Amino acid sequence: MRVRYVDLPRQFEDGTVAARVAEEFQRCQFVLGPQVAQFESRFAAQCGTSFALGLNSGTDALFLALKALGIGPGDEVVTAPNSFVATAGAIVMAGAVPVFVDVDVEYLMNPAALEDAITSRTRAVIPVHLTGNPVDMDAIAAVAGPHGLQVIEDAAQAVGAAVGGRAVGSLGIAGAFSLYPLKNVGAAGDGGMLTTSSREVADRVTLLRHHGIGSRDACEVFGYNSRLDTLQAIVADAALDRLAAVTETRIGNAAFYDAALRGLAPDVVVPPRRPHVRQVFHTYVIQVEARQRLVAHLDGHGVETKVHYPIPIHLQRAAEHLGYKRGAFPVCEAQSERILSLPIHEHLSRDDQAYVVERIREFYRG
Amino acid sequence: MRVPYSYLREQFADSESILRDIKGLLESTEFTLGSAVAQFEESFVQLCGARHAIGVGTGTDALFLTLKALGVGPGDEVVTAANTFIATAGAITAAGARPVFVDVGDDFNLDPARIEPAITPRTKALLPVHYAGQPAKMGPILEVAKRRGLPVVEDACQAISASIGERLVGNFGYAAGFSLHPLKNLNVWGDGGVVVTDSDELDGQLRLLRNHGLRSRNEVEVFGYNSRLDTLQAIVGNHLIKDVEAITAARIRNARALDKGLADLAGRVRIPARDPRERHVFHLYMFEADDRDRLLAYLLDRSIEAKIHYPVPLHLQPASRRLGYQEGDFPVAERQAARIITLPVHQHLTDDQVSYMVESVRRFYRG
Repeated sequence: MRVRYVDLPRQFEDGTVAARVAEEFQRCQFVLGPQVAQFESRFAAQCGTSFALGLNSGTDALFLALKALGIGPGDEVVTAPNSFVATAGAIVMAGAVPVFVDVDVEYLMNPAALEDAITSRTRAVIPVHLTGNPVDMDAIAAVAGPHGLQVIEDAAQAVGAAVGGRAVGSLGIAGAFSLYPLKNVGAAGDGGMLTTSSREVADRVTLLRHHGIGSRDACEVFGYNSRLDTLQAIVADAALDRLAAVTETRIGNAAFYDAALRGLAPDVVVPPRRPHVRQVFHTYVIQVEARQRLVAHLDGHGVETKVHYPIPIHLQRAAEHLGYKRGAFPVCEAQSERILSLPIHEHLSRDDQAYVVERIREFYRG
Repeated sequence: MRVPYSYLREQFADSESILRDIKGLLESTEFTLGSAVAQFEESFVQLCGARHAIGVGTGTDALFLTLKALGVGPGDEVVTAANTFIATAGAITAAGARPVFVDVGDDFNLDPARIEPAITPRTKALLPVHYAGQPAKMGPILEVAKRRGLPVVEDACQAISASIGERLVGNFGYAAGFSLHPLKNLNVWGDGGVVVTDSDELDGQLRLLRNHGLRSRNEVEVFGYNSRLDTLQAIVGNHLIKDVEAITAARIRNARALDKGLADLAGRVRIPARDPRERHVFHLYMFEADDRDRLLAYLLDRSIEAKIHYPVPLHLQPASRRLGYQEGDFPVAERQAARIITLPVHQHLTDDQVSYMVESVRRFYRG
């Protein structure tokens, strides 16, 4: 049997997307066409924000949120060291310095560690809803608020996640989402969304994503070119139609793994849960003993797995100039050696999952 | 008769073969830096003659990423033309540097004689623009660059396939940026851009910078950006790159007909001198016209979708306020901004439409 980590072709096999693309290209409004506006308004409704803006990537959503808030050279922005590199990349891109704080057992920024990372230069905090699990935003706000810091959500992996009925993307001054093809709402190429209920931020990002041009001839500010392609908006809009079903399936798949793998503790640790939190399982991350051998065992039996991510950002070569050493973030570092992402996508069958579980069980129990 | 500016519906009236390949992509799902991107880059190398072509998110990013790779940043200055599309200055500003504008000549391109006085100890690069598809005066520009030890980055966003003698644009400087925006001579179905260069080092740097600085899936060499040409757009580009020669030839043919038809209006309209050694590819057909605003209204009234590229020069834009320029700093660019007009010149114009435009302009001036 073969269990793929992702099964993207299944998402397009009914031909809906191809038909919609074929329809649109006849209209030829390839740049900021009406489907972009339509998708933006549906995405804003999904997130419970006043505005959602289509951009070239999730990275750019973080970057433009920072620029819209006036964050740049000389400023520091606090974030987590275990995210995809783009979170720190967006901070550097804005000219600011990324400052990392350690994470907790849920792989999320530890609010208790946040206070110590704040300096007189800190301007913003970017907690990351890693794996699709929302950060405890109230706890973050309780620390950030008194310092007057802006909170931007990195919700790149977390569309549809919520805390007590409040959707991610609406829990800070702005939320950044990725429409990368493997995301729960994905395009057929690069794309990103910025959500906000601040008219000021929305107006600023609307300018910045389109060369700073207010009307055709007046350039208000030197900006960037970061627009969600109309064609990608069409693809992502079709994905948004399926989001509720996709999320329910992933949550169901996660519950199946939870129940089946719990008995393998302490060799296997399943993801922790909190009440009133809707995790959307962009990834299903377990911690395991003897990871390298387990990965080889699973791979040998046709089960694809991934590690998100084996090298924390502060230990990457790109971060050398920031001066962090191994040991700076012990929780994150320990996790990076033990974490493993199992296939969790919506096209898995129960048989696929049972097979994955059985291969893991036999590895540890023989 | 109507003469629309956009021609995309005509261009893509029969796009079955492109759509078939896009359906294929939806099956293979290699949406990010898939094989079509490498294939497009290879075709672009063939077309432009440079050693490397790197597909990026936009033409703006092509310039921006090249400047970053050159180490341009805060405190630095980059010299460019005062009359270009805003993105040229935007790319410089995005890199953290300050755009320093220079006036242009009658060909709407950088006046080489004015470059040297604009160079300061903080200047890190020259960014000439092949505006409208007309190659900039690269001979004298390269001389200045050499004398002052400055790299040249060509803004070739509007100028694919333009040349001076046998030398194609994109081959004069250290690198060049091209745009694949839907209205460019080589276009795709959304945003896209390309950098060309002969430098192996720059090629390697750009491949890192466009993809988050990732050396491999797990190793981050530098903090980078996300600026990739979508595979989907590369598929469109792979189809259309075969048409570049035909498109260019048709635009040149239309431009010659316009040149000829408007020639004896000299005195009322000023058409830039055409140098037979240069290949102007007419992304825009632009000239200076007396009584421009009334001419524009007259043409629009006759359903000719003329445009102005652009009525406000860069140094007088609100965005430039903090740069400290004022009216009068660049008299040629300013005069042109008040006088230029752009007529449709695209490859789908019929001879009748071209004649109708000529006749309309003539009728405006001659009554």
